[in-house]
Amino acid sequence: MRRISRRGFFKVTAAGSSALAISSTKKAFGMKEFKGYPDSMGVLVDLTRCIGCRTCEAACNKEHGLPEPEIPFDDFSVFDQVFHDGKRKRRTSDSAYTVVNRYDDTSSGAPVYRKIQCNHCNEPACLTSCFVNAYTKTKEGAVIYNPDVCVGCRMCMVACPFRIPAYSYHSALHPQIIKCNFCYDTRLKKGKPPACVEACPQEALTFGHRKTLIKIAHERIRSDPDKYVDHVYGETEVGGTSWMYLSSVPFDQVGFDTSLQHHPILDNTKSFLGFVPMVLGIWPAMFMGFHLLSTRGKEETEKKVSENK
Amino acid sequence: MNKRKRLVLTGLIMASFLFVVPVFGASSEPPASILIDSLSYLYNGVNFDHEQHLEVTNDCSVCHHHCFGNGAENEQCAKCHANSNGTSSVACGDCHIQKPFTVQHIREMEANPKRYHLDMVGLKAAYHLRCLNCHVEMDAPTGCVDCHERTDTGNQFYHSGDYAPIGGGAGKVHE
Ligand code: SF4
Ligand code: SF4
Repeated sequence: MRRISRRGFFKVTAAGSSALAISSTKKAFGMKEFKGYPDSMGVLVDLTRCIGCRTCEAACNKEHGLPEPEIPFDDFSVFDQVFHDGKRKRRTSDSAYTVVNRYDDTSSGAPVYRKIQCNHCNEPACLTSCFVNAYTKTKEGAVIYNPDVCVGCRMCMVACPFRIPAYSYHSALHPQIIKCNFCYDTRLKKGKPPACVEACPQEALTFGHRKTLIKIAHERIRSDPDKYVDHVYGETEVGGTSWMYLSSVPFDQVGFDTSLQHHPILDNTKSFLGFVPMVLGIWPAMFMGFHLLSTRGKEETEKKVSENK
Repeated sequence: MNKRKRLVLTGLIMASFLFVVPVFGASSEPPASILIDSLSYLYNGVNFDHEQHLEVTNDCSVCHHHCFGNGAENEQCAKCHANSNGTSSVACGDCHIQKPFTVQHIREMEANPKRYHLDMVGLKAAYHLRCLNCHVEMDAPTGCVDCHERTDTGNQFYHSGDYAPIGGGAGKVHE
């Protein structure tokens, strides 16, 4: 990873914030909803097919050379892990881009499993909240992150409606956000399906063009209306996501946030973003000023010292 | 090409036919057992007792859909295939391909806007969805290794068996 100098950081910040100022005004005036790239790929997760085998977790771990797990991937005791007094199940972390959780279907008594990872939003809140432009939404649909420019402010973690980005505390000098990248570098950009999709024995994960997946999802509901809840989660949530879900139990019973808006998070942040560039525009300039003043002072002292020699 | 070579070649071609052509045609006797191992990687192949499963289901269309031309068990399929003819080949892998998510396959599927079977699962899922759903229903074994043994590669992949983490790896669950 490239280390960024202090001066370099300020340059990037200043450039980033002015770019943000321009783009956010554009967005505020010519506000048009971005429906995602036309050929965006996606994954349809069908909870009715998932058996909680955790093969996807293992595949992701292998694909990205993630740290050895504490517990083997074929150990299902992880489903009993709960945090915050039992209120929260496992979440993605700096060593796991994806995790599978178990829920109990109260009506049928059978367990329901749900895989979580980045949903690769059409208009990602992490991207719009990042003032150094560390995030990119690629034309293939992946939301990828560049650690080289990240300053570790963790705005994206706060902005993400699905609470996906995790923070790596391994190195204080190299802050890094960790999240699923849709296997962009290793697979997606080469036209290959993600590792988790390929490994899933049940095809609980269907990879394809987002447009086609929406058709497939509605067709599955239409042909088996008794089985499915009549909703494709992610088709419109937060303006649409590349990863979408089908379920046989109400989405809020299996950990989905069903209170999310059906337009991009960006809309909310727009007014906020109008304010941010001001702060961000002033800050770097101010610090740059301090920096210049202090270095000039130093240079001058140095000059004097050398002159006195 | 001399005679000998030609003979060998013909032999080879004929031999390859023996393997490529499905183990049995729709008209011949069903096989007693089938070694399902074309996808073995994390797990060894399954020595599938076809005869026993036929006894249990007593109806080919439970697994082979409409391919024998005697209707389809699934009512969705029956809408179109109640009276359709049997197909020339009935092996799972003849319709359910091994790699359903290649760019080429996705393009091919989408190139035909009239295609109904847009949502056809690949071979691995065809096996698992069919076998496992029924095993759950019938209270038959459902554990992964109940049907196929894990390979050494599989143990490495799952960080299990000989490759299980020794006393807490680096991975910490995020709070
Ligand atoms: S590999 Fe597939 S079936 Fe297994 S837990 Fe993951 S999504 Fe579910
Ligand atoms: S798409 Fe790739 S990075 Fe994301 S969860 Fe699946 S295997 Fe991991």
